[in-house]
Amino acid sequence: MAAVAASAGWLLRLRAAGADGPWRRLCGAGLPRGFLQSASAYGAAAQRRQVAHFTFQPDPEPVEYGQTQKMNLFQAVTSALDNSLAKDPTAVIFGEDVAFGGVFRCTVGLRDKYGKDRVFNTPLCEQGIVGFGIGIAVTGATAIAEIQFADYIFPAFDQIVNEAAKYRYRSGDLFNCGSLTIRSPWGCVGHGALYHSQSPEAFFAHCPGIKVVVPRSPFQAKGLLLSCIEDKNPCIFFEPKILYRAAVEQVPVEPYNIPLSQAEVIREGSDVTLVAWGTQVHVIREVAAMAQEKLGVSCEVIDLRTILPWDVDTVCKSVIKTGRLLVSHEAPLTGGFASEISSTVQIPHISNVI
Amino acid sequence: MKKMLTAAVSRVLSGVTQKPASRVLVASCKYSNNATFEIKKCDLYRLEEGPPVTTVLTREDGLKYYKMMQTIRRMELKADQLYKQKFIRGFCHLCDGQEACCVGLEAGINPTDHVITSYRAHGLCYTRGLTVRSILSELTGRRGGCAKGKGGSMHMYAKNFYGGNGIVGAQGPLGAGIALACKYKGNNEVCLTLYGDGAANQGQISEAYNMAALWNLPCIFICENNRYGMGTSVERAAASTDYYKRGNFIPGLRVDGMDILCVREATKFAADYCRSGKGPMLMELLTYRYHGHSMSDPGISYRTREEIQSVRSKSDPIMLLKDKMVNNKLASVEELKEIDAEVRKEIDDAAQFAMTDPEPPLEELGHHIYSSNPPFDIRGANQWIKFQSIS
Repeated sequence: MAAVAASAGWLLRLRAAGADGPWRRLCGAGLPRGFLQSASAYGAAAQRRQVAHFTFQPDPEPVEYGQTQKMNLFQAVTSALDNSLAKDPTAVIFGEDVAFGGVFRCTVGLRDKYGKDRVFNTPLCEQGIVGFGIGIAVTGATAIAEIQFADYIFPAFDQIVNEAAKYRYRSGDLFNCGSLTIRSPWGCVGHGALYHSQSPEAFFAHCPGIKVVVPRSPFQAKGLLLSCIEDKNPCIFFEPKILYRAAVEQVPVEPYNIPLSQAEVIREGSDVTLVAWGTQVHVIREVAAMAQEKLGVSCEVIDLRTILPWDVDTVCKSVIKTGRLLVSHEAPLTGGFASEISSTVQIPHISNVI
Repeated sequence: MKKMLTAAVSRVLSGVTQKPASRVLVASCKYSNNATFEIKKCDLYRLEEGPPVTTVLTREDGLKYYKMMQTIRRMELKADQLYKQKFIRGFCHLCDGQEACCVGLEAGINPTDHVITSYRAHGLCYTRGLTVRSILSELTGRRGGCAKGKGGSMHMYAKNFYGGNGIVGAQGPLGAGIALACKYKGNNEVCLTLYGDGAANQGQISEAYNMAALWNLPCIFICENNRYGMGTSVERAAASTDYYKRGNFIPGLRVDGMDILCVREATKFAADYCRSGKGPMLMELLTYRYHGHSMSDPGISYRTREEIQSVRSKSDPIMLLKDKMVNNKLASVEELKEIDAEVRKEIDDAAQFAMTDPEPPLEELGHHIYSSNPPFDIRGANQWIKFQSIS
């Protein structure tokens, strides 16, 4: 509620400042200090246990991909992995505790179905897991590695940034590890604290050569994950862990692809562009509905989906239309991916905004 | 002894006491002061000789160890209860079954020595000097907690106890660093660096071994092998499950981690070795955890209930110590039961405190991020809430 209220409050001030004029201010950076209140004034009760509030909003049932089934996020991931292993005989899944189904049940049943050569546990060594995955991918087999929590991806950071991302470039396209996909539970879950809540997409956004993807729902997750697995570049697929059970939707049983590097405008609007990814998309959707109802502000909501390389065109086209941009994400503010989006949008020849 | 007997007999004969004669006589020579025990020989690696195979346990020490182990056991079970009642949230990793490790390790070192471990740390927090009250209220996130309510289960610290670390294996190089500081300061202290069987496969543990051996650091690497790394058994995770040999060029000991005397002797042996400047040593403690990896893990999807029951009935550390003490007249069953009752009361009081103590004030949420002179503002979960960060 706090996050929703905050965004809505921002929009109120925006409106008060004159929604017609070309007020091109961006979230956070330019707000005068007077808007800020100290923590105690805000009220402890309001703060407590509400910062993880969101209401999952399912998309309408897709009709173009055949028969659908009710699935939550982890079941959608299992379905995508099942499709991949069925289609691609070289595909293997590995990571900590994936054999019995994984700590979030994303790999349940796959070992029984495809055998222990194709779905196996690794020892507890993230750097080893990713390095090993790069090796598999370099020979041409499809490697789907799991890092148990995104918070643990840092021992593997060197392998991802220095080895995986640069393999094709430094070998002059002789070798590549494009068939590597790293999946990892991501984002806040309410009780995760320091080491089970992190959103590290910004660290990886700084690295050309890899792709970083964050889905908002089961339908999106399956399509995006299948695209990541089939994409010929190493991909990191972050799965919002709070949505594993909370997000339930109709998801096609057959494989289908959702293109990478394409943001989706999920609500059309004319006054302000709201950009988010992962769980925040649902918060922002709620904000957009509240803004329309209470303030008469028409918001355009964009789910970025792919963080790297991100869909500059869709976002800029939207900002040109509305003249205002608000980016909301879970990760820390300083150096978060919103800063990249907000600075790109302000480059004159890119967006005509300024 | 003789004087006591005479006095007792004369008391009986004078008819003052109501107790029957035989009982008074038995009472006065009921306990021995100490007893000698044979302990299991440790497997050795790169060592000519190992810890002694016999040891003396005094009555006083025995009662102390029993009380400490029972306190840890009851504290963990109370934490289980509080977690299920949602007083404790987040992640909670319990160490019941591994009490002999923490108490035995503490018995083998000095309070001025240093200890660092992973997240299964509540037992070591207690042995390193934190009160049950401060541990339980840290778990419930209250201001009476040892980390002021901001650390939680995995981040508890005390003097010469460096936590409490969430990231698996990260404490290995830290422990080697602490050992370097001990050597550099020349204060004859050692550092116990604990990690689990899962962490033994982390690269940074090997890096720590290399540095410790290269620079002859007084570091005792201790692998608490409870047979499962979260949900994966050791056979399926490690090419070599002889964790005491994994230090390669570091001498190693494999110790029965369910027998507190074994752990104590091995720790003393390892500490003496390190203090004499011979470099690091590796100890593998064979132990077992009754609970799952954490409170979110039932603990039975990768092992059978029969296995857990079998360990509980044959090798429970508290039961083993109790049997040793009772069978060798170091204590009576009633006396130990009294200790149990005392412990229960202490835990209940601490839990009561932990449930009723207030949470830390919200203003403190931003403190201790940096060490800085002027306080600065840090943004909260939304941009209209700011916290002052003071250190």
